[in-house]
Amino acid sequence: MPTSRLAFVPFVSFVTFVSLVSMAQVRRAPSTMPRTADGHPDFTGTYDAGTLTPVERAPGTPAIIPADEVKKLEKQAAARMTTGDAPIKGDRTAPPVGGDGSVGPAGNVGGYNTFWLDPGSHYTVINGQARASIVVDPPDGRVPAITPEARQRIAARTRTAAATSDTISRENDPGYEGGGAYDDPERRPLGERCLLGFGSTSGPPILPTYFYNNLHQIVQTKDSVMILTEMVHDARIVRMGGQHLPKTIRKWMGDSIGRWEGDTLVVDTTNFTDKTRFRGSTPDLHVVERFSRLDARTLLYRFTIEDPATWPRPWTGEYAWPATSDLIYEYACHEGNYALGNILRGARLKEAEDAAKKKP
Amino acid sequence: MRTRISICAAAALAVAAALPIAAHHAFGGEFDPNKPVLLKGPVTKLEWVNPHAWIHLEVTNPDGTKEEWMVEGGTPNTLLRRGITRDSLKVGTIIVVDGYQARDHSLKRANGRNITYPDGRKLFLGSSGTGAPTDGADPTEPAKGRGRGGPGGR
Repeated sequence: MPTSRLAFVPFVSFVTFVSLVSMAQVRRAPSTMPRTADGHPDFTGTYDAGTLTPVERAPGTPAIIPADEVKKLEKQAAARMTTGDAPIKGDRTAPPVGGDGSVGPAGNVGGYNTFWLDPGSHYTVINGQARASIVVDPPDGRVPAITPEARQRIAARTRTAAATSDTISRENDPGYEGGGAYDDPERRPLGERCLLGFGSTSGPPILPTYFYNNLHQIVQTKDSVMILTEMVHDARIVRMGGQHLPKTIRKWMGDSIGRWEGDTLVVDTTNFTDKTRFRGSTPDLHVVERFSRLDARTLLYRFTIEDPATWPRPWTGEYAWPATSDLIYEYACHEGNYALGNILRGARLKEAEDAAKKKP
Repeated sequence: MRTRISICAAAALAVAAALPIAAHHAFGGEFDPNKPVLLKGPVTKLEWVNPHAWIHLEVTNPDGTKEEWMVEGGTPNTLLRRGITRDSLKVGTIIVVDGYQARDHSLKRANGRNITYPDGRKLFLGSSGTGAPTDGADPTEPAKGRGRGGPGGR
């Protein structure tokens, strides 16, 4: 018993020492962080926003994941990639008729093997705590439920055009989207059309892709800050100081103006169009982003979303952007986008086939 | 508390498990789940383009006729960051692909769910001598970045 106690004391001292050291590092960061000639923090650099932390966490679950649990989860994520990389049978047969049974974004025919993927390998850590969700307010880590008005608006938008492919039988074809989703190229998501972002990678707010190309580059001058998003090659220019443009001038990524609040860069964005709907938001969406430093190599990206016609209350998320020495590559994808043509052509053929089947 | 953590872990895992297979677009719209294919043959051309790389291969049919198929993969950017380039997969390398054909059957196009060498090793994850990134095992080969099969790989 005395022996274990003796062993316990140095352990506690060690833990205290480690905690103090990490606290000291956080406090020391401001003096060591890179600064521009005019004294503001210099955020210029390339950052990897890839993370295992999801936007929302499961209802009723804690905001912080204990360290031992994080280790386990990250190990499992790495193991899934390793399993995906493992050899399979060279003399295998074709996959099953009717699809591989996968649901969700990959559709019923499945995706690609893991060598193409780079989804992030760690949970986001802020002040030493691994986060279970990017959303921090509401404190339950969930995006607030959209208003009844927003629900009606979104439903009405889906009904705007007559949905010819609605009549298509989706039997044995669960990967095929309904709701006239393939009726018109403009009904396809902006990312799929190589126009802007994927999900909300270009933002604002900027969110991880959770599969690949999570890099962002910041170039900072006294008068403007550029945020380049690799996926889908989008550059947003933030004007420092200044006022928002008149409400009649609207932009796909909104109109962003920046200001400094101490060592935090605050970017205020309004004047959105109705083309970039973040989770069903209106053009009146208002996003406030706050860029600050967790340490000399890590940014904290925090955002607050406000759109009373969509959510009954503002909500906030945050996650860490570690700097990376990896390079951003151009993601010019329009010219090589055979997929969009294949998708629309496939839908027309399916319509014709299904119509032929229905004839007596 | 323990139960709570487990639920949290399970939820996180469920989210993480669902995501890695997600990619750029509507696979279900582009490819036909009722047309599974298994393709084998030499690589004839690589289109190292975004949003999706396309690997061309020549497939010999049972009657001896030959057809060129195009297989859709993910973004080349991620592979470039690992040091894999369009030159990493040599024309003539035999590959095996399983996937589903495009809904337009007149197009010899398919998604590459699994792309491997004939011995089942996943494409680009192999060792030297295959056109895959080098792993340092062959001193005669110049080092070629951070292939996942080699040192510094993921």
